[in-house]
Order: sequence, then C-alpha cells, then structure tokens
Amino acid sequence: MFTEKRKSFLIFFIPSMIVLAATVLYPLIYALIMSFTDSSLKRKGLGNFIGLDNYTRIFHDTHFLGSVWTTVVFTVLVVTLEFAFGFIVALMLNRIRFGKKIFFTIIIVPMLITPVAVGLIWRLLLHPDLGIVNYMLSLIGIEGNAWLGDAKLAMFSVVMIDIWHQVPFMILLLLAGLVSMPSEPYEAAKIDGAGRLQTFWMVTVPLMKETIIVAILFRAITAIKTYDLIFVLTKGGPGTTTEVISYHIYKQAYTFLDTGYASAMSYLLLLVIFVLSIVFMKVSRSQPQA
Amino acid sequence: MKKHWLIGIVTVLILSLVTACGSSKGDGGDKSAAAGPAGGTKKELNILMETVPDTEMVQKVTEKFTQETGIKVNIEAVNYSSMHEKLVPQLLGATSNYDLIVVDNYWVGEFTDAGWLELLDSFIQRDKFDTSVYLKSMFDMVGQVKGTTYMLPFYNYAMALVYRKDVFDDPDLKSKYQAETGRELKIPDTLEEYVNISKFITKQKGGSMYGSVMMGLRPDPISVEWLNYLYSSGGDFYNTDGSLRINDDKAVKALELYVDNMKNAAPKGAAGFGFDEAFNVFAQGNAASFITYNWMLPKLQNASESKVAGKVDIANVPGGSSLNGGWGWAIPKNAEDKEASWQYLKWIESFNSAKERALLGGSPTRRDVLADSDVVGVFPHYVKVQYILESSKMIPIIPQAPQLIEILGRELSEAVSGGKSPKAALDTVAKEVAALK
Amino acid sequence: MNASLSDKLLNRLTYVFLIGVSLIFLLPILWILRTSFTTKAVAYQIPPKWFVTPTLDNYRAIFSNNPFGKYFLNSMVISLVSTLIAVFLGAMAAYWIARSSKGGNFLRIAVLVTQMLPPIVMVIPIFLMVKSLGMLDKWETLIITYLSFNLPYMIWLLIGFFETIPKDLDEACEMDGCTKMRAFTKVVLPLAAPGIMAAGILSFLLAWNEFLFALVLTGTGSRTLPVAIANMETQQGVMIAELCASTVIIILPVVILSLFIQKYLVNGMTTGSIK
Repeated sequence: MFTEKRKSFLIFFIPSMIVLAATVLYPLIYALIMSFTDSSLKRKGLGNFIGLDNYTRIFHDTHFLGSVWTTVVFTVLVVTLEFAFGFIVALMLNRIRFGKKIFFTIIIVPMLITPVAVGLIWRLLLHPDLGIVNYMLSLIGIEGNAWLGDAKLAMFSVVMIDIWHQVPFMILLLLAGLVSMPSEPYEAAKIDGAGRLQTFWMVTVPLMKETIIVAILFRAITAIKTYDLIFVLTKGGPGTTTEVISYHIYKQAYTFLDTGYASAMSYLLLLVIFVLSIVFMKVSRSQPQA
Repeated sequence: MKKHWLIGIVTVLILSLVTACGSSKGDGGDKSAAAGPAGGTKKELNILMETVPDTEMVQKVTEKFTQETGIKVNIEAVNYSSMHEKLVPQLLGATSNYDLIVVDNYWVGEFTDAGWLELLDSFIQRDKFDTSVYLKSMFDMVGQVKGTTYMLPFYNYAMALVYRKDVFDDPDLKSKYQAETGRELKIPDTLEEYVNISKFITKQKGGSMYGSVMMGLRPDPISVEWLNYLYSSGGDFYNTDGSLRINDDKAVKALELYVDNMKNAAPKGAAGFGFDEAFNVFAQGNAASFITYNWMLPKLQNASESKVAGKVDIANVPGGSSLNGGWGWAIPKNAEDKEASWQYLKWIESFNSAKERALLGGSPTRRDVLADSDVVGVFPHYVKVQYILESSKMIPIIPQAPQLIEILGRELSEAVSGGKSPKAALDTVAKEVAALK
Repeated sequence: MNASLSDKLLNRLTYVFLIGVSLIFLLPILWILRTSFTTKAVAYQIPPKWFVTPTLDNYRAIFSNNPFGKYFLNSMVISLVSTLIAVFLGAMAAYWIARSSKGGNFLRIAVLVTQMLPPIVMVIPIFLMVKSLGMLDKWETLIITYLSFNLPYMIWLLIGFFETIPKDLDEACEMDGCTKMRAFTKVVLPLAAPGIMAAGILSFLLAWNEFLFALVLTGTGSRTLPVAIANMETQQGVMIAELCASTVIIILPVVILSLFIQKYLVNGMTTGSIK
C-alpha cells in the first residue's frame, strides 16, 4: 500500500506537524487577521477591517522607530558577546578532564532562575546605595555607578545581566556540538602537524558550522523577543534608553489594549527576522568548506 | 517528494479549520451555560485579587463567611503588574472564571467604559447598603462614576510624606538652617521650601543621608510621585471645562522642583528607583523624607524590615494635596452568579468585617472604621491619614488613564535623565494625551 | 618537550580562566543563598554584616503562605512532560527533515517562522481558544501550549545535530535491510545523544521559566513557579528574602538532576567518536 518513503513521512514527520498545527497555526493566523483590523481588547471579537492602516501607522510612530534601534543595539551586543564568550568557555570545558562536572554545573545555574527573579535579584545587587556590587567596588577604590538609573549605563547593565542569565544556553549548545564531533579529523590534523590555532580554524570551525548557525539564530530570535527582563529591570527607562521593540509591542497590547496595532508591529517584526534569518543562513552556508 | 508537500500542507490546513470550528462551537456552549439558573445557588466563589497584605486579611476573615453560608471562597492573588494581563482576557469572554475582582483606580475609566463591570445600584438599594459611610474621596474614585455605582472601595493607598522625626528635630541642623536661610527647619508648608530643606540636608550630611529619596522608574513610580508635586502646587491635568492644563506654568514649576530635588538632593540612581529601592534607602536610615503610600508607615516601624523603626512619622505632602489611590471591589458583568457575588461583597464590606480587617492592619476606606476607637487605639496615625485622604486628589477617571500614565512616565523620565526641558516634556505629554482616542 | 610544556601552560590557563568564569556565575548565587537566610532589613544593609544568625523564616513562610510544593510539582510535571513529548516528536521530525533531499531549507525556516512572533500577541488567541474548550487551569493545557515553542525549537536544534552525523551510517544500515525507524533508533540516536540532551535541557528550561502563558492560562490549580515568584513583587515592595529562598529551592533539585544527565552531555566525547 504505502511505499517505504511515504510510510516514513507519515511516521516521522506528520505527528509533529499535527501538534504544530494545533498549537501554533491558529494563533498565527488569528494575529495576522487582527493586524488588519482595529481590534482592541476593549471589544469582543476582531473589530473592523481597516486594511493596511496599522502598518502605515507604524512608520509614523517615532517611539517604534526609536525602539527598533534600541533592539538592534541590544540584540547585536547580546548575541555577539554571548557567542564569543560562550564559545571560549565551551572550548575550555571541552579540553579539561578534571572538574568538568563541577564547572558545568556552576555555569548552568543562572539559567534555572526565572527571568522575573533574575531581574529582581539583580536590582538588589546593583542598588546604587545599598547594593553589594557598588560596595565591593568601593572597597577597591572605584566609585560605584547608578547602574540602571543612569541613562548612559542602563543599556550596558541590562546587556550584562542578560549575558549572565543567557550565556549558559550558548555554552550548552556549543558544548554539545563540540562533544559530538568525530575525532578522526583531529587525528588527521595532528598527523599533518597542524598547530593549535590552525586546527581550530581548519577543523573545529567548519565542523561546528551547523551548530554555530543554529545557536546564533536561536539566540538572536529569543533576544529580539526579550521583554520580561526589561519589564522588571527598567521598564524601558531611564528616558527611552532601554525600550526594546518587544516591550513596546507589549505596551501596545496590554496598556493601550490596541491589539490590532500590536499584531501589525509583530508581523512586521516577523517579516524582518524572517528576511534576516534567510540572509544569515545563505551567507553563512555559502562560505567555502575547508 | 512534491506530493509529500501537498499532503503536509493540506493536513495542516484541515487541522487549523477543525480547531477554529471547534473553538466557535465551544463559545456557544459557554453561553448556554451562563444562561442557566442563577440566584445564590453557587457553592464556590472565585475572586481575583492583588498580592498585598490586605488580600491576606481578606483571606483571614473570609473563613467566617464560609462557616456562616457554606459558600467556599477561592482567592487567587497575582501581582500588581500582571493584573491587567490576567484580567482583561477574562473580561472579554462570554463568561468569566471570576465572580468578584478588585479594580485599581486607574483602570476604573477603562473598565466602566468597556462595560465590563456590573452596576451595583439596584443591589445597594434593595439591601439598603449604606454607601455614605465611605470617605468621599474614596467613593468618588473606586465607588461611583458619574453617579452610577460600579464598585465598593476596598482599600486606600493615598500618598503622604513620611519623614524622620529625629532629623527634623535635630537641634544642630535646625540652628544651621536658621543661620543659613533665616527660616525654621520644620515640615514645610510649600513644595518649594520642601525642596530647599531636602537639598540642605543632603548638603549637610554628605553621602551619609539624603534630604529625600525619590523614585524615577517608568511609568508608575515616577508618575505617581510627581503627581504629588503637581497637585500640591495647584496644578492639574484638566481645567474645569475639560481642556488640558498639564503643561501650564504651575505644572512646569512642579516639574522644575521635582527635577531639582532629584538632581540635587536624591540619591544617585534615584532616577531608576522603583517603590522598593526607594523604600529600602529610607528603611536603612539613609534618607530624611520620602513621599510614599500612607501604609508604608507601619512597615517602616517594623524592625525586621526597617532600621528606622520608632523614628518615623507621617504628614501631608507639603503644599497640602497628595495623590489619592485605591482599589475597589467589582462584579464582572460576565460573572456567573452575581447574586452570590453580591452576597459576599456585602458581607466583606460590612462594618464588622471591615473593622476586623483594619485591626489586622488593613487599610480602611470607611470613615466609621478609620475613626473607630479600637482601630485608632492600634493605629494612632489614622487620625492624620483620614485628614490626608480627605484632602488628596485622584488621577482623572478616564478610559485612557493607563495610557496617560505611560506617556507621563516616559516624558517625566526624559526630563529627569534624558535632558529634555520640563516645559518640552510636558508639552509632549499634552500633545500625546490630546491625541488619545 | 616544548609541546608538552605549552600544553601544561595552556591547561593551567584554562583552569584559571574557568575558575574566574565560575566565580562570576557563582558569586551572585551565593549572595542569593545568603539573602535567603536574612531579613529584608539585613539584606539591604551596607556595609554588609558578614556574620548574621541565619533564620529559616523565609523558607517557612514560602511553604506556609503558599502551596509552594504544589507549584513546584506543577512546574516539574508540566516542563518534564512537555519536554519529553517534544524530544520524542521533534527528534523524528528533525531526522526526517535532515535526511530529506529537497525542502530541508524551506522546512527549517518554516519551523522557525512559528517562533518569530512575540508571545505577547499569541497569548490572546490561545487564551480564547483554551477558554472556549473549557481547558483553563489544567496541566494538559500548559503542556500542549508549551509544545508550541518547545517542539519547533527542538526540531530546529536537532536538524543541525543530525546533519553532522554522516548519512552513510544510517543508509548503510538501511541497505542491510533494517527499517528507517531501526536505523534511526539504533544508529543515529546514540550518536546524537549529546545534542538531544542539550536540546532537551534547553526545552525543559524554556518551559520551566515561561511566565506569560502560565499567568494567563492558569488559576490557582496549575499555577507554576514563575507566576508564584512574580507574586513576591507586591505593591508594598519586593519580598526579597522570600524570593531568594524560593530561588534556592528552585535551583537545588534541578542542579541535582543535571548532575545525573550530564554524563550524556559532557562525556559524549567517547560515544561521539564511536564508529
């Protein structure tokens, strides 16, 4: 009846698609429809169809445009720093034998803490007058800062806290990639007399490519969607220095109850991430394999 | 291979249709359930509340209600900043999971405008529930809107000036201030003098104590703090004819004073403080004054939370008009059994229950409870609190109040740390508020 | 020899670096631990009192004021079950996509697209759907809802891991007459164990930390830890000591759990090189 191929399609692929259809498709379509209406949480149902009005409105929203830039800064900083730092730590963890478990356990602990608690705890640690961080700095003669209350430093502080919380994800993914690499290419490199750096660039990086692409895209997408940490730490302030796009959308939906507009912004965001992901995948794949 | 694609896409589409149909059918089913028999037959009530100590007090006294009536009461408490997300989707549906909710004063305009709250007047008249016992400033805020009663006031969070008695009575500081300015150091009558004293204390005490601790976090902390400045310097959002005056001279002056105090007297970093950061600076003894909720006083007198227990007192905000705030009980329009909801509401807001809650530390809204000799015996400062409540002003009850606070908070924060001038910031507020639909 | 000397030096540096990094991660955690045994007044005291008589009040408070144990159980069951389902379904789908000759790239992006919309706008339709099905405040609801992000991420992370496993291995097995399922379970899965473990941990943590869906879709019955913890920020201030105590309670069992599963992840070196 079924060919082997079709059977494997049914067994392997379809169950996931059914689950996805049941959980994601309906809200995705609902939100898309909402983005063309003046729907509001104040009314039942979807509201009136207003065409592209929500989308044109976005380009007149100066706060939206400002938040786009803030999001770009936040995402680029977070992703590059976490990737660089995460990769170094993963490489080192992969090298050592003794104490691996202990280091690993310590390093993954931050990501077990729920973002709301992370935010509240860092507010305690970074309190300008009563926080332990400024106190420690004062002991070594450095004057402390108003980390989250200073317009110049707030973004930096948020990025640092996010790294503390999220870099374990990066380490975990990259370490898994390193661990599952075959050992033959390394042996071959050794025989060829390749140096350490050479081996890294010629063997490790190419072999890790898929994992790296996955890890960076994964982190970039979750970083763009960050809103809970901002919500707890700064609420977008001081001024508008940390107002990222997701927090802006969150406010449109839940403070302004303007779900139509919030959906339109979300879909625009989706479109941008979508295009960027494709470009990123194309570019990173097209590089010649070593 | 192509065929697999088609099969995949078709399956997905069919499934999504099925789920969509399923959900619309479900809607109908819900409605018929709601139209079922009503009238006090419910054996369980669900209440959505905010996580504050007042909620615990309600929980404590409610056991009696269950004993008397056999109705079980489930109180679900969520934190303040999640309330809106939690409530609004519930109120949208054909039926609500909640029989009773509490509404913050700045949601009142929005909720009544959207028609989410049940009118209480007929219940009140039928059962002759006396609403005149509530403080007028409370009942006008979380009781009635334009003459229609939607809520009963649950608790108040009017703001006040909390200050250190020992600092304001310090003879050394007093004489120095007299010598420098020719005026007496005391709890001042005007905001201007308050800011002067606050800056003086910060200057005198170096880094060890600040004249006042402030909270510049967006959007609520900075907005509610500054509104005390606005109201106490005679400003307001609207003129009596409904036109905006949020950027008039009085408002600009209030913001200038606020920025001055923030920059020259408040702790470094106060521009990012929320309620809790500011509270802790005061509780650790590092500030001489703090504009905050009146019920922070008992917390500051509690030694496990505060190092200044016994040295604190409360006064009206200099200038005389602080910001009023409060929560009201309301029955959602889509509640299943409103009779049962009312039965509980009537009970929990009766004099006896309200007094019992107040004695446990709850913050009263009824004049007869606030002035009750047993209650005043335990909380002597309630005499002052009543006076503060009566002279305080609320955020305007308009459907766009949450937006108003959001815009105001952002622009105030820009004025404090973004380099925007007070006038320019308030002009932006006026412009955006006028454009709110 | 020169090489072994530089090896030794590098080893030393590695340990120095790792100890430094661990301290960055560990110090805040230790401060959380310390705060969990103090009162609020002591928690904010600067300069800090280094030797305080610890109090267990916070731990007592979180278990007596809240059904904290129940929230813990809710979180554990919901995160675990949803992760197990995601691993089971996701691994198969990812394998199929990784091995399909055409459309791999398209499917990969399509799966990812489902995750590009902020959850803020997804939660409204999901709430309406769940409510009309009468499924609010149930374990199953959150488990299924969490699949909406767990499964796509799982599929997507695993595609990458499966692709690094040479095709000839399972094709050889199929040539020998075993079914695709057998090739998958006997050949590919063992090789991909570290990746699956990593993706599993990630998906567990995504569910473990999720807040918005849990807030909107639960009542008191299936409330999860993030919602319970968010409640410690009240209008009267943050209950910082209780918050730290619950954070400690949350961290501990998962750390113990992770010690057990680590051997698949960290010691994968040997299994990974089996051929």
